[in-house]
Amino acid sequence: MSIKLEKVVEKFYLGLEEGKILGRKCCSCGAVEFPPVYACNECGCWDMEWVEIDGEAEMHSIVLPAALSSKPEYKALGKYAYGEIVLKEGSRFNGVVRGITKKNRAELTAKLPIKVKAAIYQRDGYKTVVFDLVEE
Amino acid sequence: MNKNMNQTTLHPYSRSVSIIGVGCTPFMYTVDNPETNGLTEGEMFGYAALKAMEDAGVTPKDVDYYFHGEASPLNGSNYLTPNIQIGNWFGMKGKGSIHHSEACCTGYLAIEQAVNAVASGKYNCVLTGAVEFGDSVPAPFGPNDTVETPKHPYKREKMPMERFLATTMWLYDRNYARSLIAPMNLIYDDVAEDYVRTRGISSQEMDDTLNWMAINNRRNAAKNPLALERKEFAEIAKEKGFDNVMDYMRSPYNPKMGDLLRMEGMERKCDGAAACIVCATDMIPQIAKNLKHKPIEVLGIGSAACESTNPHFEIRATEEAVRQVYELTKVKPEEIDLFFANDFIITSHLYAAEIAGYLPYGEGWKYICEGRTAYDGDKPINTNGGRTSFGHAHAASGLADMYEACMQMRGECGERQVKKLPKTTMLRGYGGSQNVATIIIRTAD
Repeated sequence: MSIKLEKVVEKFYLGLEEGKILGRKCCSCGAVEFPPVYACNECGCWDMEWVEIDGEAEMHSIVLPAALSSKPEYKALGKYAYGEIVLKEGSRFNGVVRGITKKNRAELTAKLPIKVKAAIYQRDGYKTVVFDLVEE
Repeated sequence: MNKNMNQTTLHPYSRSVSIIGVGCTPFMYTVDNPETNGLTEGEMFGYAALKAMEDAGVTPKDVDYYFHGEASPLNGSNYLTPNIQIGNWFGMKGKGSIHHSEACCTGYLAIEQAVNAVASGKYNCVLTGAVEFGDSVPAPFGPNDTVETPKHPYKREKMPMERFLATTMWLYDRNYARSLIAPMNLIYDDVAEDYVRTRGISSQEMDDTLNWMAINNRRNAAKNPLALERKEFAEIAKEKGFDNVMDYMRSPYNPKMGDLLRMEGMERKCDGAAACIVCATDMIPQIAKNLKHKPIEVLGIGSAACESTNPHFEIRATEEAVRQVYELTKVKPEEIDLFFANDFIITSHLYAAEIAGYLPYGEGWKYICEGRTAYDGDKPINTNGGRTSFGHAHAASGLADMYEACMQMRGECGERQVKKLPKTTMLRGYGGSQNVATIIIRTAD
């Protein structure tokens, strides 16, 4: 299949507006790219199809925000942490997980990886993807 | 993206390439000192370039081409093509050049580009240099001046931290990284968190390690006349009424700025320039007849780039770049005598040294806390003082590290000369969310 000049980024953000979290699945090896891009970084194929991300994921590391790594805007997230997210579909990326505090950090770190679930979050002017802890 | 990144196999250079001359300005806050306030890009770059030529025993006529690095030329100089604007300053008017910017990795990739150009056979001798005004910006002084178009010909003013931090956002992908929030915020603590979790040390032990890296860097810088910060923390602690330097480092004088990172573990952004002359090894007798020291051969350079949405981007890119350069050069970790890591976040210094096998896995923190990585230890790292004490003139830092590496390998570092004359050195460049380069150099026989 020939590569198409298409608006992948716009489709991703329009998907969030419709309540869908979209990724791109490789038609050759099945790997899922999230956030979505043109070509598969596993096998190099650029025949990709859009898929809806289920939202189930794991968090593999926990870093709490601090003076250098927070902004007034982030207060609306409540308590949160940064870390490595691995989607059920296999994609790995850096994400935000809500519900992690100084108090529960040690307990959660001992249990890593921990289950998290994707959520669509409204920022100033557009929506993005964050994650919430899944209570077990 | 899966944990395993795409990999590249390197092939040997078409011919041997060596560094034959190095030059470096002091790293400084130019506008704070009347003697340096008013220095310009041409003066800074030109000084480093001509010092490198002088060191190599060549003249501008012997140099075929120049590479120019500046991390943030629009913000720091109001230039789009900074290589051209300084083209008359060092005797190479009309010769070809190119500008490149890989943010804090610029000075290391400056070596990569120069070596590739000479190894290909296109040029025999090139200059590679970089300049940065990390602490100041062109100043709007007149009533009709604006930040974008200041009309004064050379005056500069301090760059407020807010402006610097705002422009660092340009380092991150606008489509996804900034939107996802986490990528640019993990740069400060991701590596320290990973080290604590994977090596099984406590947060307190990591805090001590971070502090010792800052102390060791400052010990090195204290003996380096080109360094920005030269007062040792032990002396500062005493002045502030502390009997013990570690009590000072754990005090509010050195506050936590990150989850684990403290203030003294961060770069001192500043102004500076550095340059190297890179020459085909077999052409040295013809081109550099007056060379008074041994050439330093570039054995190989590994490269990897890992954009900031990717987990543990610094670690993964360093692993790949280190793998490449060892595979190409067949150099063993135990052959590395001296190590440099671009440590604008100081944790880099520990983690990169472990990935390179310069310090043993999981034990590196102990070497650091025992002072063994200072200039007078058995595993010296960043003998110039690193980014936290030598200073960070962003694009120029990598070439300043190369300056220090070559001077150490020539045994010309005076008070801070390492105990055993280094024959083989590795430099791990890093920056720009995130480019990584691993350079292995060796004194030619």
